[in-house]
Amino acid sequence: MANMAVSRIKREFKEVMRSEEIVQCSIKIELINDSWTELRGEIAGPPDTPYEGGKFILEIKVPETYPFNPPKVRFITKIWHPNISSVTGAICLDILKDNWAAAMTLRTVLLSLQALLAAAEPDDPQDAVVAYQYKDKYPLFLMTAKHWTNVYAGGPHKFTECDLKIQRLKDMGIDEHDARAVLSKENWDLEKATESLFS
Amino acid sequence: MGNCLKINNSDDISLLQGGEISNTQDFAPDQNDPAPIYSELLQPIFFPSPSVRRPVSHLTEEEQVKIAKRIGLIQHLPIGTYDGSKKSRECVICMIDFCVDEAVRYLPCMHIYHVHCIDDWLMRSLTCPSCMEPVDAALLTSYETT
Repeated sequence: MANMAVSRIKREFKEVMRSEEIVQCSIKIELINDSWTELRGEIAGPPDTPYEGGKFILEIKVPETYPFNPPKVRFITKIWHPNISSVTGAICLDILKDNWAAAMTLRTVLLSLQALLAAAEPDDPQDAVVAYQYKDKYPLFLMTAKHWTNVYAGGPHKFTECDLKIQRLKDMGIDEHDARAVLSKENWDLEKATESLFS
Repeated sequence: MGNCLKINNSDDISLLQGGEISNTQDFAPDQNDPAPIYSELLQPIFFPSPSVRRPVSHLTEEEQVKIAKRIGLIQHLPIGTYDGSKKSRECVICMIDFCVDEAVRYLPCMHIYHVHCIDDWLMRSLTCPSCMEPVDAALLTSYETT
């Protein structure tokens, strides 16, 4: 890997380690390989959002041309958010694409992602289904996002109603995550979810 | 134009050479056996837009014009030497501290960077990496009076 990319990542790694946010346990970063090309980030769900109390793991891949091109980042932890794919974890955020600037760092990327969790942009969606629910059925969106945060990121809110419906689909031989995904998509309408699974 | 900063006497053509090619003989037309793949590898790479990467021979005419204009603009940005008194101590692109007497390029917003760092960036995007100010717009307004 190009020298500048490695030396920058090393410096940025130290910057994150010394940052205020690490003291507050709000962001974290760790190394995946010795060549400094792959890192794992972690962000805490921001307060007063459905993601509060959850820890979200991120895959960070540093391109050889870093910092002239942005790092490639996606969510490993499954998350229900209009700008993040509920299937792949791909993120729609301008600074990770055309609005990247060489002065941005791993720390600012992690903080921007935290800000994205606090302020979704449903008009520029990555996941159309989630964005539609956000705009059209906001209370259901909140419940779904909290439920996903509980199941995948260790969040505090349990929804017995959701669990019961998922169990019903599991009893029909459906994988738990597939059941959750289809119910979330069908606004927790068990009948519609069953229909979409078996038609 | 009153410019108290150091001016290069000869044209700086390092940008045209992609910055990485040291041996220009590789492009000599009289060379007999340039394996096509080998010469492809030696071609300078350009970035018509930040995420588009193309060897020089694959650029469209429009992109060539765009890049030529960009090189022209970059060469109009003054180069100075770091005197140690500036507020910014580190080049935010490579995150390495400036050394006294090191060559730095000034953008219209007065942010400074190592010449090779900022030139690499400007060849992809004509904005200041620190404040996002479009370099071309700022430069053009400063010329409009002439």
